[in-house]
Amino acid sequence: MEQRQVVVVGCGPAGMASAIAAAEAGAQVTVLDENARPGGQLFKQIHKFFGSKEHYAGMRGFEIGTRMLKQAEDLGVEVWLNSVVYGLFEDKMLGIIQDNTNIPMKADRIVLATGASENALTFPGWTLPGVMGAGGAQTMVNLHGVLPGTKCLMVGSGNVGLIVSYQLIQAGAKVVAIVEADSKVGGYKVHADKIRRLGVPILLSHTVKEAKGKDSVEEVTLICVDRQWQPIPGTEQTHSVDFVCLAVGLTPLTELGSMAHCQSDYIAKLGGFTLTHDENMETTVPGIYVAGDCAGVEEASIAMEQGRMAGISIAESLGLIEKSAGEKKKAMIRRRLDELRGRPVFYESAADQGGPQSPTGGDNPFRKLPGYPSEERIQGGPVAVIECSEEIPCDPCAYICSREAISVGRPMTKLPQLDSEKCTGCGLCIPGCPGLAIFIVDKTYSPLEALVQLPYEFKPLPKMGEQVDCLDRQGKKVTEGKVIKVTNPSRFDRTPVVSVVFDKRFADDVRAISLRRKGHGRR
Amino acid sequence: MDEDEGMIVCRCEEVAQSEILKAIEEGARTVDGVKRRTRAGMGLCQGRTCRRIVSKIIATETQQPIGEVMPSTFRPPVRPIAIGVLANEKE
Repeated sequence: MEQRQVVVVGCGPAGMASAIAAAEAGAQVTVLDENARPGGQLFKQIHKFFGSKEHYAGMRGFEIGTRMLKQAEDLGVEVWLNSVVYGLFEDKMLGIIQDNTNIPMKADRIVLATGASENALTFPGWTLPGVMGAGGAQTMVNLHGVLPGTKCLMVGSGNVGLIVSYQLIQAGAKVVAIVEADSKVGGYKVHADKIRRLGVPILLSHTVKEAKGKDSVEEVTLICVDRQWQPIPGTEQTHSVDFVCLAVGLTPLTELGSMAHCQSDYIAKLGGFTLTHDENMETTVPGIYVAGDCAGVEEASIAMEQGRMAGISIAESLGLIEKSAGEKKKAMIRRRLDELRGRPVFYESAADQGGPQSPTGGDNPFRKLPGYPSEERIQGGPVAVIECSEEIPCDPCAYICSREAISVGRPMTKLPQLDSEKCTGCGLCIPGCPGLAIFIVDKTYSPLEALVQLPYEFKPLPKMGEQVDCLDRQGKKVTEGKVIKVTNPSRFDRTPVVSVVFDKRFADDVRAISLRRKGHGRR
Repeated sequence: MDEDEGMIVCRCEEVAQSEILKAIEEGARTVDGVKRRTRAGMGLCQGRTCRRIVSKIIATETQQPIGEVMPSTFRPPVRPIAIGVLANEKE
């Protein structure tokens, strides 16, 4: 039998954060994970993360995973991969299968950081090959380099649905539509805007009626739903697709805790039954702690904070750190958790349900935001326009500008504010915004033309001098333009910035481009 | 709901929605109750895919909030492992 001081089950962001925090205090920590690679879901997250410095905001998920793992290993944390925990028994005894051997392991303290599993959605045809979890599709594309199909329908407009749609397009698939049963988009607005600019419609108050196909999905029929989420006959529409992704929420994986008689509570907004815990992340069974999605489905940044809280509490309970020092650290974590959980607020001018209006017809929905310069300033030369209209926990833009033209302040959920007199239009903030919501607009480029600098994370990249279609915020072509510059230095971390010149009249409208030759990002 | 009744709910054990409904009609009120009558949730994935759907069907049919529907009990092994491997215990 193996004996350890602290055992963490699950090597995702919550598990790693708890291991790091406990090891920093001097605990001997072992992390178990059933996968061949550590990092949990972080290693398939290729987008830049939100949050603040404490959550590695602005870094791409897989790089956060690499960094945390290195930190854990430097602290002497032992990581067992390909190790399946199949049971949690009396007296904190774990049953582990590794290399076809059954290994019992007893621990003084246990952290359950087992994450969550994807929810399914039943409709006639849901068992056809080609219907899959969005997270599963993301694993195929980003970890294994396998595209599940060429034409996708995404079900669910939460952050998972929006982010995976974007990444499927990056990988070369076409996303026919995103379907959402609710009357509003579930995920962050910047993610929704990003996908709308590519011309992907988000169909609100719609659900899947059925999927059909001989050996696998060939077509899917959608139907409108009313306020009570009841289908409205006669509103069906059929799309030809070869795969359907379900992004309809996650359920905490509480099996091990339940087996050890930890109490669980049903909390709908946290994904269902979650393991009950106190402020220290300790469950109702002394010595068993919980962190991350199995304590309730929230963001990765929250999972990390919960992990830190569990690690510090464990170190405290083992007498490795003084109560007062532990309390000080915990108070900071509590403050950050409160800040991260500040509910997203829409700004009224941009809160229309259909997303930003096509500006050719109407008012620019972002104009009244604190991150938008005055028309007078825009007329005066190149300047940043920040199209971030929702209070989400994210502040990297505030640190990226060397002239301190952008500020967020506290709480970090506040909307970014632009001091447009300080802004020189250098464009460094474009790749620095994880939501890709910042653009540079220059209406003084020439008497008849405007220049817009925008982020473009697709391959192939446009060439200098290439003629491209210029798209509005809905992905609709409004004019044609010429690419005059593509910058992609390593400090942009794979968010190339494209400068495009086009008819000045559309300067407030153009926020995306589409290549005319074959390539991604084309509608 | 009629035309959907032949639809599979538990993929591992191939249990149709009609069988779940019949189990509820016969008095099943918990996920375990449905599981014992139909084997829904007893397959390779141990209910990770269907148990939430089964809870929802029970909640709808018996008109109670989903949080009131008793979840299934969890027993080892929570992952599919061969019995021979389980017996191969390290000293």
